[in-house]
Amino acid sequence: MTRIFMGTVCMTVLLSLSAPAWAEDTASELQSLKAEIAKMQERINQLEQAQQQAAVAASAAPVSGAQSNDNAFNPAISAVLNGHFSAFSNKNPTVAGFGTGDDGKHGSQGLSLDESELGISSNVDDKFAAQITASLSEAGASVEEAYVKSLGLPGGLGFKAGRFLQPVGYLNEHHGHTDDFADRPLPSRIFLNNEYKDDGVGMSWILPTNTYAEIGGSALRGDDFPAGNVDQAHSGAWAAYSKIGGDIGANQNWLLGFSTLQASPSLRKGNDDTVKFIGDSDLYLASVRYIWDPTGNSLEKELTLQGEYFWRKEDGTYEDTGAVTGAVPFNGGQTGWYAQGVYKFLPQWRVGARYSQLNPDNVPAGLVASALDAHEHNPWNAALMTDWTNSEFSRVRLQYGHENPAAGKQDDQIILQYIMAIGAHPAHTF
Amino acid sequence: MKHLLFICTLMVFCFPAMAKAEINIFACEPEWAALAKEIGKDNVSVTAATRGTEDPHHVRAKPSLLAAMRKANVVFCTGAGLEAGWMPVLMQQAAGAAVQNGAVGNFMASDYIALMDKPQRVDRSMGDVHPEGNPHIQTDPRNILVVGKAFTERLSQLDAAHASAYQANLADFTSRWQVDMKKWGAIAAKLRGTPVVVYHDEWNYLNRWLGLKEIITLEVKPGIPPTPSHLQDVLAASKNADVKVIMLSPFDDEQAAEWLKGQMGAKIVKLPFTVGGIDGTDTLEATFDRTLQALEGGTS
Repeated sequence: MTRIFMGTVCMTVLLSLSAPAWAEDTASELQSLKAEIAKMQERINQLEQAQQQAAVAASAAPVSGAQSNDNAFNPAISAVLNGHFSAFSNKNPTVAGFGTGDDGKHGSQGLSLDESELGISSNVDDKFAAQITASLSEAGASVEEAYVKSLGLPGGLGFKAGRFLQPVGYLNEHHGHTDDFADRPLPSRIFLNNEYKDDGVGMSWILPTNTYAEIGGSALRGDDFPAGNVDQAHSGAWAAYSKIGGDIGANQNWLLGFSTLQASPSLRKGNDDTVKFIGDSDLYLASVRYIWDPTGNSLEKELTLQGEYFWRKEDGTYEDTGAVTGAVPFNGGQTGWYAQGVYKFLPQWRVGARYSQLNPDNVPAGLVASALDAHEHNPWNAALMTDWTNSEFSRVRLQYGHENPAAGKQDDQIILQYIMAIGAHPAHTF
Repeated sequence: MKHLLFICTLMVFCFPAMAKAEINIFACEPEWAALAKEIGKDNVSVTAATRGTEDPHHVRAKPSLLAAMRKANVVFCTGAGLEAGWMPVLMQQAAGAAVQNGAVGNFMASDYIALMDKPQRVDRSMGDVHPEGNPHIQTDPRNILVVGKAFTERLSQLDAAHASAYQANLADFTSRWQVDMKKWGAIAAKLRGTPVVVYHDEWNYLNRWLGLKEIITLEVKPGIPPTPSHLQDVLAASKNADVKVIMLSPFDDEQAAEWLKGQMGAKIVKLPFTVGGIDGTDTLEATFDRTLQALEGGTS
């Protein structure tokens, strides 16, 4: 093609040079040649396009073949690293009116490595999927979660066995690194020891409705606070939940949940093993979560509102060895709640505020002046945070909190935290 | 406990089962929802998991999607890691055996396209790169035909009773599409070689089809928003290449593009990216019509 073109150009040039007398004729000839070249160029474009189309049309079979080697079946591996610098004005605040588990206390002072999580997950075969999450800290490695799960059971049914974070309330079944704040709210810390995970089996059923509705339950070993935290004394527990959720228009989503955790610890220790409880401990929770994308694109702006209400009914005996109360019969109820809002105002920046409160019960005479006596005080915590998310895999957060754990006690809390995920792509849960 | 049981029972009766006999297609992106409707017509019911204004990569596994996935007997997605953040959650929590990976009801469009930009090596310092290759295949109309053909075969396999209807719908769509492609090809000839700046590497298939020359991305790296220092590089490269057009999808941030426009006078062209991305793009045809109109306007 290029040769023909060059040839024509050369001939035209030669003709125009050698025969000036024919200049007018040549000019018109040049015009027609130019027109012809333009036509040819057009034809080339058409042919090129047709060729590409033919090549595409021929490939109706899958083109991306997976390579087969042993590595091809490696499970998804992910590691979450997080660490913080924190400063608390009150070194060892005990939340009045409750026996608090070890994880429910506020974190360590100064620069510190938080629990790092190592997760491995994969489909086992066509019927099962599995996940192991190990938590690594200075105390050693512990199994955070290790479960197998059914895959594709008919009728919206699901089955889970092993150790897993229980779906009691909203926050509990989510890993801490996905939280919107650097610490868990007061009621999660006190009633669930930050997070309740236990060994057992669970069933779930998503109802065949247009609106999302799911119910489920688990039978559990009863080996984690609040179901009991003494190795030999596991006494069984069970949990049940229902969730319902949907969309409001195009840009708003909501999720509402009700759940319960029914435990009867044969022994549960709190406040560094000084507060002991034996008896029935039944927890009821209601949770709500709402997300609004004002621009229709969650990347730009997003408002998240969330709240949970806790009600714990206990019937048994409490003993505070620190105050030498002896075992005192206790039958009462405590409540707690939190509400939080987080707003993404720029694609990488968010701000948030959270208020949480606990309402302890009046104590019987035998427990007056013990750790369980809150002196009519309702512990509360208010927190403000801002975080910067460089990519889906990294986040840095600054949080300030003010806590009033007991009558006359104040605790100012500053936490600077990083959370980084490497390996498999993190899940975007609701 | 009694209260809880009561609430559960209430839930069951308030929302009666809506099971229909037809094929329920869960389409991850609006372009595949539109294509599924073209081929399935009245024999299928299609749910689009995302809207044209949403970045299909950044979606949460929200409750309504769990409910839709539970009913699905066909899943029609791009694949190639585009839905990596939310599809695994939906698949594990709500999907039936019929749509699990490898099942007949699990259809990934990217399986049928030779993906561009498959990286030689991947590292997260390169941003949120897709090891499988660039997943934004729907911006080339030739790919729509290839995927449509493969999906028709799959649908016919799943629902043999309506196979001939699906084939006829495909034939109808294909003949309309070929007429459209000729029309678009005529505009494309004028656009060939135009230097462009993009926000994210989301137009590679469109650029290859139209012969547009991508000079640089406004994003520093995939998934990492523009920074002032990177924008200086963008400006230098754009001036050097005499960039005329800055291409934006509906969910790309406009700030950086506005800045570049102010610095060098290139035009911002907002393209639909997919069905419903901008007003008046309710069909696949309208989406490409508007894309070419916008580009033609931007370069003239």
